Amino acid sequence: MRNSFKLSKLPSWKELFYSLLILGAATLIGLLFSNLGFTEANIITIYLLAILLTSLLTTSRWCNLLNSLISVLVFNFFFTEPKFTLHVYEKGYPVTFVILFIASWITGTLAVRVKEHGKKAAEAEMLAQKEQLRANLLRSISHDLRTPLTSISGNASNLLSNSSSFDEATKKQIYSDIYEDSMWLINLVENLLSVSRMEDGKMILHMQTELIDEIVTEALRHVEKRSFKHIIKVVHEEELLLVKIDARLIVQVIINLIDNAIKYTPPGTEITIHSKKEDEWIVVDVTDNGAGIPEEEKERVFEMFYTGNNKIADSRRSIGLGLFLCKSIIEAHGGQIELLDFEPHGSLFRFTLPAGEVSLHE
Amino acid sequence: MNKAYILVVEDDLPVSNLITTTLKAHDYRFITAQNGKNAILQASSHNPDIILLDLGLPDMDGVEVIKCIRSWSNVPIIVISARSEDRDKIDALDAGADDYLTKPFSVEELLARLRATQRRLNVMQNQTLNMSSIFENGELRVDYAAGCAYLKDEELHLTPIEYKLLCLLSKNVGKVLTHTYITQEVWGSSWDNDIASLRVYMATLRKKIEVGEEPLQYIQTHIGIGYRMLKIE
Repeated sequence: MRNSFKLSKLPSWKELFYSLLILGAATLIGLLFSNLGFTEANIITIYLLAILLTSLLTTSRWCNLLNSLISVLVFNFFFTEPKFTLHVYEKGYPVTFVILFIASWITGTLAVRVKEHGKKAAEAEMLAQKEQLRANLLRSISHDLRTPLTSISGNASNLLSNSSSFDEATKKQIYSDIYEDSMWLINLVENLLSVSRMEDGKMILHMQTELIDEIVTEALRHVEKRSFKHIIKVVHEEELLLVKIDARLIVQVIINLIDNAIKYTPPGTEITIHSKKEDEWIVVDVTDNGAGIPEEEKERVFEMFYTGNNKIADSRRSIGLGLFLCKSIIEAHGGQIELLDFEPHGSLFRFTLPAGEVSLHE
Repeated sequence: MNKAYILVVEDDLPVSNLITTTLKAHDYRFITAQNGKNAILQASSHNPDIILLDLGLPDMDGVEVIKCIRSWSNVPIIVISARSEDRDKIDALDAGADDYLTKPFSVEELLARLRATQRRLNVMQNQTLNMSSIFENGELRVDYAAGCAYLKDEELHLTPIEYKLLCLLSKNVGKVLTHTYITQEVWGSSWDNDIASLRVYMATLRKKIEVGEEPLQYIQTHIGIGYRMLKIE
């Protein structure tokens, strides 16, 4: 109790104002009651009600204590003989005051506590939801990790025990399977590292002014190996488009969008990255001229663990983390990401980022 | 060209094996160390040409190893870092490392870094031999004494800042320079605006020296870290 007192913050002016307003109203009703000839018990009840109301409106325990004290004094001043003084004639009154004080104090404390309980319950629920999300993520990932790990360890063990019985072509296939699967794992880990930077749904960003050109180049460097069957084009409408971003995260966004395009379109598909400036924003479009995404799925592509119904072109696994991360990252930058149709066919992912500024000094 | 003699400092055996197997396959000679103290000892007694240094060593911080080796030697150091945070790479580069590799790295990446470092090594040796005031790289030529730069024998029209950047990069060819280092050298400060300016000047400089249909890439951007001039063979 004592500790919670120390922790409890001092009342704000607004809270004090509300308390005084309610006490004033209670006093007015009290005066009305006394004019009507009601007993003091009724008036005391009105004050208790007032204290209860104030405690529900304010959060400070100090405010509660102050209210209890003031209500006792006001009651003394207005309703006990001699009226309009702080003196009392009747011997019983001091006891009434003490009881009134204690009663209002307890009422107030209880009300504050009820409110705190409510808040704690809400917090606990939020925490439970977050835990649920974490658990889902962990389960989904662990499940999806099994497949590539089975392939890698199995292939390696095959090579260890009977590599001499394999012909060159088989060996080559095994090597490339191991390589592909570990590359898939590497990509997943990159995404997980970005997820780990999210806390309470917020991202911790290291903002710097960057050239969008350099960011796109860096992203392309990472997808080089996976993209050789697709045609990738880069178009910047202006030279020197500056953005204020967390470079590493935005590189990840572009990698994920290109990866997505590669994954869901047949070889030979053209993928274009196009950027331009619109007022205070840099607009980046990642388009492909593949089959496009059906209307009913568009809403859901940015959801966590959503992997779409259609069969992936090369049967590569997907855990539905990439686009969810893109959305989280872009929104953390204050931008927006949307999925549109690319004419005549294909999909267009458009996202916006805050434009950067620089005052050049020679 | 003689293949470089390499000191591999890595405590994780499978990764150490991966590196040494790769080195063996490409006829590099090497020695290994598993911890920082041993690394310093090997570096001083064997005089390697290049050091591959893992930053997460069991006995001491990799940055301390760099500082210690730098106190007597200019041997190129390539750090290997598992942490994907940029901060420790920047610290290592600022402490005197020349280049970095992030785990997981590919074998091709490792070999590319070694080739780049070997070229840097050759340039460093030539520089000390001739005390040359002219820097040549591919079609690019910088005449420090005259304060001029040429591309394919045509004089480049550079702004003073662009020329300063070009000199800084070419004097450290092959080495990754951090944003902080460059802005400190050029402007004497490194505020956010300096780094933003740096990006713009670097872009305009690149436009001037990387021209044509398939331009030679002289300047390499390291997102979140800095820039490097590549030595073109």
